[in-house]
Amino acid sequence: MARQHTIYRILLASIVVAAIGVGAWALLKDDRIEVQGGGFLRDGEAGFVITSFAYAVGPDAAEAGTCPNGMSKNVVEIFSETPEAARRAGEDDEAYGQRLETGGQASSQLPDGRNMCMFPAVAPLDPHTRQLLDPDAVADGINLDGAVSRSSADIRSRRFDFVSPDGEEGVDNQFWRAVGCNRSYQSDGQSNVYEIGMYAGEWGILISLAGVDDLENDDHVRIGIHASADPLRLSPTRAALEYATYAWDADPALNATTTGRIVDGVLISEPVDVQFHHVTNSMYTVRPLLDARIRATLDASGQLNGILGGYTPVEALYDFQFGYRNARNGDGTPAPEARRLQTSNGSARVLGHTCQGMWQSLHRLADGHPDDGGSFTSISTQYRFEARPAFLVAPELDAESDDA
Amino acid sequence: MPEESKAPLISIGSRGKRLVVYAVLAILVMVFALAVIDSGEPETTGGPPMVRRLTEEQYRNSISDIFGPDIEIAGRFERPFRAHGLIAVGTGQAGISPFAVEQYEASAQIIAATVLSEEQRASQLDCSPADARQFDVVCASAFLSDKGRMLFRRPLADFEVQHYVGLARNGAEQLGDFHDGLRLSLYAMLVAPDFLFRIERVDPEHPDQLDPFSRAERLSFFLTNAPPDDELLRAAEDGDLDSTRGIRAQADRLIASDRFEGTVRNFFSDMMEFDSFGELAKDPEIYPAFNSDLALDAQEQTLKTIIEHVVENDGDYRDLFTLRDTYLTRALGVVNRTPVPAREGWQPVTFAPDAGRAGIQSHVSFLALHSHPGRSSPTLRGYALRQVFLCQEVPDPPSNVNFTEIEEHVNEANVTARDRLSIHNTEPSCAGCHKVMDPLGLTLESFDGVGTFRTHENGELIDLSGELDGTPYATADGLAEALRDHPETPRCLAQRMYTAAVGRDIEWGERYYLDWLIDEFADDDYSVPDLMRRIATSENFFTVTPPRARRSDTTAGARADTRGSAQGDIS
Repeated sequence: MARQHTIYRILLASIVVAAIGVGAWALLKDDRIEVQGGGFLRDGEAGFVITSFAYAVGPDAAEAGTCPNGMSKNVVEIFSETPEAARRAGEDDEAYGQRLETGGQASSQLPDGRNMCMFPAVAPLDPHTRQLLDPDAVADGINLDGAVSRSSADIRSRRFDFVSPDGEEGVDNQFWRAVGCNRSYQSDGQSNVYEIGMYAGEWGILISLAGVDDLENDDHVRIGIHASADPLRLSPTRAALEYATYAWDADPALNATTTGRIVDGVLISEPVDVQFHHVTNSMYTVRPLLDARIRATLDASGQLNGILGGYTPVEALYDFQFGYRNARNGDGTPAPEARRLQTSNGSARVLGHTCQGMWQSLHRLADGHPDDGGSFTSISTQYRFEARPAFLVAPELDAESDDA
Repeated sequence: MPEESKAPLISIGSRGKRLVVYAVLAILVMVFALAVIDSGEPETTGGPPMVRRLTEEQYRNSISDIFGPDIEIAGRFERPFRAHGLIAVGTGQAGISPFAVEQYEASAQIIAATVLSEEQRASQLDCSPADARQFDVVCASAFLSDKGRMLFRRPLADFEVQHYVGLARNGAEQLGDFHDGLRLSLYAMLVAPDFLFRIERVDPEHPDQLDPFSRAERLSFFLTNAPPDDELLRAAEDGDLDSTRGIRAQADRLIASDRFEGTVRNFFSDMMEFDSFGELAKDPEIYPAFNSDLALDAQEQTLKTIIEHVVENDGDYRDLFTLRDTYLTRALGVVNRTPVPAREGWQPVTFAPDAGRAGIQSHVSFLALHSHPGRSSPTLRGYALRQVFLCQEVPDPPSNVNFTEIEEHVNEANVTARDRLSIHNTEPSCAGCHKVMDPLGLTLESFDGVGTFRTHENGELIDLSGELDGTPYATADGLAEALRDHPETPRCLAQRMYTAAVGRDIEWGERYYLDWLIDEFADDDYSVPDLMRRIATSENFFTVTPPRARRSDTTAGARADTRGSAQGDIS
């Protein structure tokens, strides 16, 4: 009897093991997914990859006459105006140029030897940094706070709204006010073409829509704004491809969801905090945007074209755009100090500004998120973007590198 | 069997037990009968023995099998010659250009130098001379006999061994090094016609049959796309390939080998003309997703799909034309407008029934290959469907054809390919062939020139209706079903497979054999491995037309004589 029971147990155990084996095999084998045909909107869902991304700005200062006091200067230009920079007798071009560079670099140092790009808060006021204060200047963007602030008091405070090129009032775009008189932010400058990094695969931005019943008018849609974990997929001529697959970043901090609506083909989102990757000179920073919202036209072919606007924390903006104080390597460790110094000082020299001047302007013009003492801690920042249809998928969490 | 030995078995017990015994005996008798019964294969006269040049893959497989996978092959290979729809058949008609000779020489020099390099020689030679400055005839004979047998796919005759040993001796004496002498002799083998060509020989005792080594060669190249291994050559030496049983055993072994899958891939790559991808270009402004990586992925998608279906799943060949299971990379996902979660490698996918994409003819590999650089082509696609999958010949277009009517309306609003072709087809000289090709290709207009699904062209809804030899349909899915169910579909595959196996077109006397093969293909549920096994183990596979009979054959006489003399010259 006991032997019979043993046999039964063995049989039962064998059946259980076999069942588990078959189940596991079936699960492992069934990694085939069913895919649908159709356009960019499938089952009320759509994905997009941003293919063009730049600060929303206004017309060039030279064209609009919006910088009557001239453009901001870099340290060499500033030094060259000092008496000690006067050319000495017999000094050749090379020696003179070298002396200007050295003088400029010296003027970037605090008396204790610290570099002003790393410590802008303790630097003296830079009188050579210009701000775009022309009340008649126009700028691209949307009204973020719902108000139209253009009173004399607003203008005196330097926190006043632009009018957009198409006549929309109340455009909050103080970042443009801070950089609008910088040479590198004019249309032929180098500061507003950082999407080159996106095309080099350094970072990317994805947008997802869900619950879309009608592409023309829908009073409730779900919207996701994500950092991409994959590089932009390009054609042989380096044009961004439509309908490529991208995984969103595995870091929850780089993924935001909100709601919104579609009104006459225009997608309008509710504010949500977002942040994206930003890479400069192989150094990694983040590009945050508080209370970010989208207003973009969605056409029948799936192209999304419009504005992503919000408020960037001033210190963060200074770091990813000018100072790189907290920049990191790809593995998350702090980037070498020498590279951070060279990048911040070098770009200020080349792009035509000073670190401390930009830090001071950003704080002076900040208009969002006041702290307990009433000081504004963020500055309205707007991006103009274009996006094309894409398929968005969850990241492969076991992948070695999910970072863009 | 003595009567007394049977008695206890019969009288074991009850009637039921006897019935069991009878049943077992009956089954044994049936098995025996099935074993000896005639397969039904019709008698044929076969075709001429062939001289076939090694393909690039066969050359590479040969070097890898004989000397190891790490041996570099430096030379480039000539563009293959295609005949009767297959490169495999073209190998029987291809010559060697001066360029190819140079390349074979370059490869041979590097292979021989590598094999006999100081790093390799210990693993390549089973012997070693006591003094490398002295010529060791025993060691040289052993090495050259062994490698010569594998390279020439037959044992070397004594005079051949003497010839190559003599070459090695002369080289060693002049260069002062035993291994340098072997290197020169090995180089000579590597550029010898006996290696570069598969030279089939008739059995002297049975002039209507290939000799055992030619049988081994046919078996091996057909089932593994590689030369016979040592076991197969030994089977030939031992006479095992003289019997059906011996051939079946070897065929089963080769089909079970790792190389078989690659052989099936190679066949379908050949049949679908993937070598033409080397010349395929697309306008990057019109098809930005197309590049050389995508072209490679597209081919691999189709081959992976075919291998999974016909080899791994042993599926019905005809289902390849309606199959929705396939694999995609992210690059292919762009063209297919499909999400591909797998970041690297291949994502297994199944196209939903309403995705409008079914069968290998809806793959990018077919649609992009048979299109123009800047637009799709119903004509090229229809032509390819007829020729590649149905083995139907469509005449070439007349030399004075006027394409301006087509080109002038390519981007015109509300004009589709059907409209353009209807203008073109008013030419009587064009209409005949276009009526055969276009109804197939126009249905595939649901895919643009690179294979992306679409419903409109130039703003106009595309009319996908068409018909295939009397079967009407309204969608690409309907075309897929019509292709699957077309009687010529399996017939074409069987014909292609057989002609690839023997390296020539079907002979007139083999038409009944082909009918039989197709019937067996159907009985085997259109299993491709079973079809290959049938071919490999059939009598006809090794039957050759004796030279005298070929001379009296008025239909194929001239061609056969030419081949006979070519063989004689080379061998």
